[in-house]
Amino acid sequence: MSSNRLLGLILVFSPLSILSIGGGQATIPEIQHQTVVVHGWLTNDEFADLFAIARAAPGPSTLIVALIGWQVAGFLGALAATFAIFVPSSIVMYAASSWWLRNEESTLRKAIEQGLAPVAVGLIFAGMVIVLRAAHAGFLALATTAAVCFVQSTTKVSTYRIVGAVAGTYLLLFAVLHYLARA
Amino acid sequence: MPPEPVGRPAVGLLQLLGTFVRLGAVTFGGSVQSWVHREVVERRGWIDNKAFLSGLTVAQVLPGANPVNIALYVGLKLRGGLGAVAAVVGMVVPAFCVILCLGYFYRGYGHLPVVHFVLAGLAASGVGATLTMGIKVARRLPRNLVTALIAVSVFVVVGVLRWPMIPVVAVAIPTSIAVAFFANRRTADVL
Repeated sequence: MSSNRLLGLILVFSPLSILSIGGGQATIPEIQHQTVVVHGWLTNDEFADLFAIARAAPGPSTLIVALIGWQVAGFLGALAATFAIFVPSSIVMYAASSWWLRNEESTLRKAIEQGLAPVAVGLIFAGMVIVLRAAHAGFLALATTAAVCFVQSTTKVSTYRIVGAVAGTYLLLFAVLHYLARA
Repeated sequence: MPPEPVGRPAVGLLQLLGTFVRLGAVTFGGSVQSWVHREVVERRGWIDNKAFLSGLTVAQVLPGANPVNIALYVGLKLRGGLGAVAAVVGMVVPAFCVILCLGYFYRGYGHLPVVHFVLAGLAASGVGATLTMGIKVARRLPRNLVTALIAVSVFVVVGVLRWPMIPVVAVAIPTSIAVAFFANRRTADVL
């Protein structure tokens, strides 16, 4: 029975892996539909909880499937779901990247490279606006965004220190605000 | 250390794995690519900006989580097939462990306001990293009207008007590639 559940996880997540064009965010609604509505592995509230955890965790948000797998079939379920969501798309990416890296002199590749660049830039800025809007960003968030951008553009401070400094500052700020609210 | 101007710096498999393990453990969804860009291009000089950008676009266009795809591309470019596996494992395994631990503890602490407050800060710093990358990449685009027009219209249509990304990209990419292809051929004819 347990192996049936593992198979179920693989059969649901591997096709989604191939269809996940546009990255993890685009796949989340379909993952919700499949696991909550079609298979009834978890309730809507449980899904919302797992989604919040996935957003709080580092790495790709698609890793929500690890939590779903865990819920459905324990640790093996988490492993099976993670393999199912990453392996098929990685095989496609591997094949495409190999062609890409082998044909550096091809005129088609040059045109693809030049053609992709402005589309990529448009998508990078569009993604930023979408994230800021979804988070209902206020003054503090915009100030943090500007400060991180400034530090990165003017220094070579490491990623880990910047992330640590932001987390530390926010903890301190939270403590101060909490204290002021009481006083 | 400044990147060597000539020749590719030799990158060990363990070095590659270690870098992506750390990136996978501290970077958050939506901005992972920007932190990868900073570590791999800006700080370590392992690959140049143009190569990274084309890989990033391939990573975004093809199916799969963008952080995993870009890790695969960087690993493959630096160390071939083994490099690709090392980078992807580095990107996924720590995040996999952290998310399972968080899932275990979340029910106890998820309601605390301080948790939400700090997470909002980390999300904002991720947007900052994306802004830095966007500015750097945009400044290196060729200066011509068509390029600017394509970049701005993709931004407006997807970011401001919120049209779905897939059909927009399905039109924008072939158009943009065709424009580049014929522009290149015309310059080749003139020369």
